[in-house]
Amino acid sequence: MALPLIEELSNEESRKDTDEPRRGSSWLRYLGLKAGGTAISLVLVVILGFFAFRILGDPIKSLTEGRNVSLEQRQILIKQYGLDQPLLGQFWRYLTDLAQGKLGDSYYYSKPVSALIWEGLGPTLLLTGTAAALSIVLGLWLGQRAAWKRNSAFDKTQTGLALIFWSVPTFWLGLLLLLLFSGGLHWFPSGGMVTAGSNLTGFAYIWDVLRHMVLPVLTMVAVVYAQYLMVMRASLLEEMTADYLVTARAKGLREDLVRRRHAVPNALLPTVTLIFLTMGGLAAGAVTVETVFSWPGLGLMTFKGLSTPDLPLLQGTFVVFSSIVILMNFIADIVYRLLDPRLRAG
Amino acid sequence: MKKITTRRLTAGVLATALALVPAAVIAPAATAEDSSGSTLKLALIGDIDSLNPFISITAQGTNILVLQYQNLVSWGTNNEPVPGLADKWTTSSDGKEWTFHMPADRKWSDGEPITANDAVWTFNAIKGNEKLKQANGALVENVKSIVAKDPENLVLTLNTVQAPNPGGDLPIMPEHIWSKQADPTTYANDKDTVGSGPFIISSYDKAAGVTMKANPNYWKGKAKVDRIIWAPYQNSDAAVQALKNGEIDIAGGLTPAQFQSLKGQPNITTNAGQGRRYTALGINPGTKSKTGKVLGDGNPALQDVNLRKAIVMAIDNKTLLEKVLQGLGDEATGEIPAAYPLYHWDSKDLPLKFNPEAANKLLDESGYTKGADGIRLDKSGKPLNLRLLGRNTDPTHQQMADYLKPWLKNIGINVTTTMKSSGQVNEDSSKGNFDLYFTGWGIGPDPDYQLSINQCSSLPDDNGTGNTTENALCDPKFDALYKQQHAELDQAKRSELVKQAQEIIYNSAVNDVIWYANALEAYRSDRFQPFTTQPEKGGVITGQNGPWGYYSATPIGASSTTDGGFNWAWVVIPVIVVVLAALAFFLLRRRSASADNRE
Repeated sequence: MALPLIEELSNEESRKDTDEPRRGSSWLRYLGLKAGGTAISLVLVVILGFFAFRILGDPIKSLTEGRNVSLEQRQILIKQYGLDQPLLGQFWRYLTDLAQGKLGDSYYYSKPVSALIWEGLGPTLLLTGTAAALSIVLGLWLGQRAAWKRNSAFDKTQTGLALIFWSVPTFWLGLLLLLLFSGGLHWFPSGGMVTAGSNLTGFAYIWDVLRHMVLPVLTMVAVVYAQYLMVMRASLLEEMTADYLVTARAKGLREDLVRRRHAVPNALLPTVTLIFLTMGGLAAGAVTVETVFSWPGLGLMTFKGLSTPDLPLLQGTFVVFSSIVILMNFIADIVYRLLDPRLRAG
Repeated sequence: MKKITTRRLTAGVLATALALVPAAVIAPAATAEDSSGSTLKLALIGDIDSLNPFISITAQGTNILVLQYQNLVSWGTNNEPVPGLADKWTTSSDGKEWTFHMPADRKWSDGEPITANDAVWTFNAIKGNEKLKQANGALVENVKSIVAKDPENLVLTLNTVQAPNPGGDLPIMPEHIWSKQADPTTYANDKDTVGSGPFIISSYDKAAGVTMKANPNYWKGKAKVDRIIWAPYQNSDAAVQALKNGEIDIAGGLTPAQFQSLKGQPNITTNAGQGRRYTALGINPGTKSKTGKVLGDGNPALQDVNLRKAIVMAIDNKTLLEKVLQGLGDEATGEIPAAYPLYHWDSKDLPLKFNPEAANKLLDESGYTKGADGIRLDKSGKPLNLRLLGRNTDPTHQQMADYLKPWLKNIGINVTTTMKSSGQVNEDSSKGNFDLYFTGWGIGPDPDYQLSINQCSSLPDDNGTGNTTENALCDPKFDALYKQQHAELDQAKRSELVKQAQEIIYNSAVNDVIWYANALEAYRSDRFQPFTTQPEKGGVITGQNGPWGYYSATPIGASSTTDGGFNWAWVVIPVIVVVLAALAFFLLRRRSASADNRE
């Protein structure tokens, strides 16, 4: 998943050199282009959201599987879910509902999809947000250290280690941690967000949640921090030959200050896009980690939706999460240009 | 210099924090758990769809609700009908009128009396509201009227005679609670609820799970544990760790590998209970609609019963049971598992038992000649290539397929396998888009429904929708037997008819039942005495047809701490390692910092 992001970033770099917007009208043109692209993506997401999940099979068959269900009961369900309508009719209803901000009722949970998304959003953001923050800090810090000491033992071990963690299947690493630290050492709970049946409040509650967070956050950080490390390392390496660093050194600055005051701020730019893309994906949750650690979040819910298939739930989560990603992308495009001092100077 | 001091400080803080982490997490592990001896903690695997008994259709919901609501007639510890809310019942001579006596001393958990009016309200609520039919609509379809003669006597009149007890399976709701709900279809029923069973839901939270309290008014007496907590897990691997960890007391639904790994663990007792589910290979006999229209793309060669029989004879169920299921199950005969001795067809000498020579002979005699590559040709001269469909969510399907391929090749049939999602398999199988596929059904204590879906009237409509057929069987002889057993009120006679019906399905070779897998469970034997199983001999604790397993939970003495045999070496060693690592890190930082400074 992370590789295309890096490619995207390098495309970003090359585009910057060719069609650089200067000021005024070109800025507007740039904004217009980006907004247009965003709008097209959103329309495609809405259309795809409806049709893509229809191939997953008949939800009524799955919901009634293995149960004593009469023909009458089945027909009631089909009518209730509107599946007796022709496909285009269903699509129209979906569009008109969406236009009014309605995401429909989940088949599995018999609840509005919007309420379900809202319910799962807190736990998901807590998990993905913490993991993202930690991996960004860790990745960027290690990345710049590694680049500065290129080809040193530190660089080689850190890059190697990060890439190994990145390549490890998430569920496998999660299960391994679970086996070791929960089942074996009894250090951490085996899953969930709070101790089942507990009515903790205040600090005790926070402590309980923190204990439950350790293993899932650790798994997520281990698997994703490599992408920040690699991007930071690559972009700092590009900066390291720049003339202004020679100037800085000539001024007699310590090597440490040259790195932190001059090289790193410039090298940080490509990571901005990466961070915004990450933020876009936070709400969608982390299906694997949430499943392994029974974290009651949105990723898990989407996974549940797929196995039913719970069409309104899938459509709702797909449209909402894809829209967030697309909008974050759009914002990243703008922020990137606002932040780059070279563009401001131009 | 100032920079270096800050850095040193940071490194110091970091090192201390790192060193403290293991120590910090240990402390609450011993104290935060509030499970005392009077709490039974269960693993709830997967999400609850709803706790509204009219709506809930998944095992996650119904396994909880079966503890809270009783039917008029319950299923006993040996899957026999026993008193529930009614203590006795009689049937009129024409079999259409059932009278249930509901004793006056039974009370809801809030102290209100349980009367015939509660049952009337429940039946009528379902009959009068389409949405309330979601869970149990089928159970009231044959009920013409329901009348409370007085608070203790209830009369149910049926449209047609039926052998399955109409008071079984339908949970009765407290009218004084549910009739007050503006919309019973959306009532969550997840907080401070009222019920008649041994445990009552007191709270539900997606993250913290379900807490149930023992019902002081349960007519068989209050349970020995004060509460049950259902701890939510999303996979059984985590539940296994939780059991070892002491976070839960029972875990069910284990895989053979998990089960074996828990065997012999200290303080844990495993239970391989007689399963109530069959696993089979469905063979497409040429799926047709009710009107006789051919549906799907099944290989037409399979319309020949001799080819289907040869396939059944080429499959070694015993080897599959031993290799794929590690022997944790029973060899199958018909569709009703051995856990239901009243209806299980216990044939020692199956006509289509594993016999590849006989299979080859049958195919030779039926005119399927072998081509140069050893693959037989069908009646139209085409090589016999069959597709085998399984679920990618069930690892045993791929494993069984790996055995089946060479076995079928051995009788000259080429097989290609595809594993798909459950939804896709459901869709393909119901529309007849398959040659062979792995299937399975969980069977209830009454076999009527399972048999009913093998009738000609269960075939789908011309467009593939409508009814569900088990495996496209349509045999007038079977239909006649089904109807006979459906109306037979004499248990011995009915049992005999049900066994004959299974034999017809078997001999039609459309559904080769391979095994009845054991239900694999494990519990903390340091905290609980052995549970009542269903059936009592060799049965299951979790997922019973009734509340008996959990109701029987008896804590052992005072509560043990969550991490009873905890080895402190596990704490001390990592702490030392982390402290040393932190120290080394700190020293290295100092060195590199001063080196930076020198530059």
